[in-house]
Amino acid sequence: MTQTLGAHAAGATPAGPPVLDVAGLRKVFNVGRPDERMAIDDVTFDVVKGEFVCIVGPSGAGKTTLLRCISGLSAPTRGTVQFEGTALTEVPDQLGVVFQDYGRSLFPWFTNGSNIALPLKARGVGREERTKRVNEVLTEVGLGHVEKQYPWQLSGGMQQRVAIARTLSYKPDLLLMDEPFASVDAQTRFDLEDLILEVREEAGITVVLVTHDIDEAIYLSDRIVVLSGSPSKVREIVTVPLGRDRDQVATRSSEEFLELRRHLLSLVMPH
Amino acid sequence: MQVFATYTRAAVVPLVTLALVLASWQAVTVSGLFRPDQFPTMTATLQALGTALGTEALWSAVGATLQGWAIGLLLATVLAVVIGSALAANDVAFRSAASVIELFKAIPAIAILPLVILVLGSTLDMKVFLVAFGAFWPLVIQVVYGVRSIDPTVRDTARVLGVGGVRRFLTVTIPSASPYMATGLRIASASALILSVVAELVGGAEGIGRAILFARNAGVTSYPTMYAYILVSGLLGIVLTGAFFLVEKRAMHWHESQRNAKDNELGAR
Amino acid sequence: MTTATTGSTAAGRDGGSPGSASAGGAGVGDAVAVAVTDVPSTQVTATPGRRAAGRRNRGRNLLLALWLPVVLLVGWWFLSANSTSPYFPPLQVILQSVWDEWVIGDAKTQLWPSLRHLALGFIGGSLLGVLGGALLWRLPVLRKGTNPIVYFLYVLPAPALLPAMIALFGLGEARQVALIAFGATWPALLNTLDGMRGIDQVKFDTARAMKFSSLRTVTAVVLPGASPQIAAGLRASLQVSIILMVVSEMIAASEGIGYFILYAQTVFAIVTMWSGIVVLSVLGTLLNYLFVFAEHRLLGWYHGSRAVGTDKA
Repeated sequence: MTQTLGAHAAGATPAGPPVLDVAGLRKVFNVGRPDERMAIDDVTFDVVKGEFVCIVGPSGAGKTTLLRCISGLSAPTRGTVQFEGTALTEVPDQLGVVFQDYGRSLFPWFTNGSNIALPLKARGVGREERTKRVNEVLTEVGLGHVEKQYPWQLSGGMQQRVAIARTLSYKPDLLLMDEPFASVDAQTRFDLEDLILEVREEAGITVVLVTHDIDEAIYLSDRIVVLSGSPSKVREIVTVPLGRDRDQVATRSSEEFLELRRHLLSLVMPH
Repeated sequence: MQVFATYTRAAVVPLVTLALVLASWQAVTVSGLFRPDQFPTMTATLQALGTALGTEALWSAVGATLQGWAIGLLLATVLAVVIGSALAANDVAFRSAASVIELFKAIPAIAILPLVILVLGSTLDMKVFLVAFGAFWPLVIQVVYGVRSIDPTVRDTARVLGVGGVRRFLTVTIPSASPYMATGLRIASASALILSVVAELVGGAEGIGRAILFARNAGVTSYPTMYAYILVSGLLGIVLTGAFFLVEKRAMHWHESQRNAKDNELGAR
Repeated sequence: MTTATTGSTAAGRDGGSPGSASAGGAGVGDAVAVAVTDVPSTQVTATPGRRAAGRRNRGRNLLLALWLPVVLLVGWWFLSANSTSPYFPPLQVILQSVWDEWVIGDAKTQLWPSLRHLALGFIGGSLLGVLGGALLWRLPVLRKGTNPIVYFLYVLPAPALLPAMIALFGLGEARQVALIAFGATWPALLNTLDGMRGIDQVKFDTARAMKFSSLRTVTAVVLPGASPQIAAGLRASLQVSIILMVVSEMIAASEGIGYFILYAQTVFAIVTMWSGIVVLSVLGTLLNYLFVFAEHRLLGWYHGSRAVGTDKA
């Protein structure tokens, strides 16, 4: 148990073996019925250790479906998803998912502390270690002592921080996020984006984030997987050569950023 | 000051009404509008209540009613949670059982009372069976709907956090379904008390219902005692509902309805 | 890591077609289970296919709803066929007795007094309850004042009043009707009060802005607004009424279905008792379903908009 909770080396070499390998993934709902519907046609990409990858696409492009497939929440119709070299059948222990809707994803009947401790309990971590870890991650996400409060007593941004802390508590190798900042106000959104970059830097965690916001994708990622409309295919995988140090004002107004933005818009906008 | 005034008025108005009701009770009985063999005077009844509260007979009757209520309700709850959750987990099982459950829920539990008396006699078992039978059907339906209405995000969250098996059932499924279960329990608790009393009145099992009937059969002189016992059965209802209310308030404090109630309370002050 | 037991089936059944949610009365689970998937709007073109799937699902659900009751009945029939237990006669014998006593014989005359008392008591009590609830809603002082007493009478287990009702009204019909009416009043009253208090203030403001007369406000705002909960209260009232009808016939009466069943029991006419139980069960079930049917007809707009209503009674 303990070795899986070990810290990772900060920084990553993009040349390492893939943490996540998605090959020829297709997802069809209601197979063989009159209302059969293909959500994803053919998606292939990989994510190497320490990388930050965003998945963008027009609305209705099956982004959430894709995320559910690569997290092991639902099985692909065709193709494979490999996490750290093994094909997915269930949600792996070393994978973390943050949902968009923190209001529904945090359990209102538990305090923030119990919410964060829950995955640790499920992994058999002892009480003392749990308490220590809860305090650690709360500090990590920039929250003070809110462990005795309930999620619904906090603001939206703080709730999403608790949700992120809960996922970080068991030190997953890969963090999947489904539009995590879509339900908070603009300022909080910037704060949370920087928070996640910081966390990624410190914990050396690999992140895959689904968003419909192109600016957010460029600001956060090392690479961007651009999906076409439904049923989705990979349109292009765009590398973002903006380096590791990013700043909400400077990065977003840089020439490279704007250039990438133009390019991505042309990919996502219907012709 | 104003807060004090509000509180005083909140307490005074019901007290005044209560006094009025008691006074008119006394008036209609003393004036002869109702004969003593119909309706004893308020003073005689309250006196009988005072006497009865000191007797062991009353408390053992109350205890017996409570016992039937509690055991029956507990049995029904355990069965409903186990069976209801199992049914809710499987669509085919749910759709198959739903019609049967709805059917049994619609059958008045009292219909089977003569059969239960016949098989089990005038015993606690008889009362418990009747109570459990009456409480089970509305409860199980609430459990099923509660478990089936779990937010998919909650379910997915439990899965991605690696919370599974019994732990998931206890920490996610049950709390998620608990608002539905609380509604079911509230309904079941009320009907359990009614059925307890029915089992005592008709089936002759020990309890407050039988005590009321015995007091009537003892003749006009014990009518004040009969009415006193009826008051006790109402007080029992208040105690049980009140206790349920407090437990629900504590256990469900996280739920929106309770949160709103708290806000309203604060807002009202 | 144990794999999940509860809920995993529904979660694994990705994106059960949105069209399937309409089936049956069990709207609660379906409505939510569907929300999980990301439905691309561009693919909604397959409407005829979806309709066919919906039809097929309805057929499947009807079949699923029917097989178990049928199996249970058949099972009862065959398992009891050779029963020698005095308490559990063969189903065939019971049904034969139902036919002989209730259809051909004159046991059915027992139903009329029962139904008459039930109708008078339930309707009288409900009217009292709804009017009383409306009155308490309009008069806050009266509401505050009577609150503890109303609450006391509501939680008082109504059957406990039966001996008192006998003392007050004697053994006749008045006692039976009065007891049923008493029991039916309180759930109706409290639910009416709750329903009317729960109406959105905006609706009243709208009515005032449109210069509705008070009568119009009542018929167009108050009654429709509170009706779902009034209906829930009346359903609870009906259930209490049925219990009270049977209890008062069992304790001190010489007619009615409750009397019939208990009398048969005391003289050990077990098969006759069973026939009464069957008839009473069917009667109670029919009354309940009749109520639900009427409610759905009258409150179709509400069930359509909510798909689910939780009892508050």
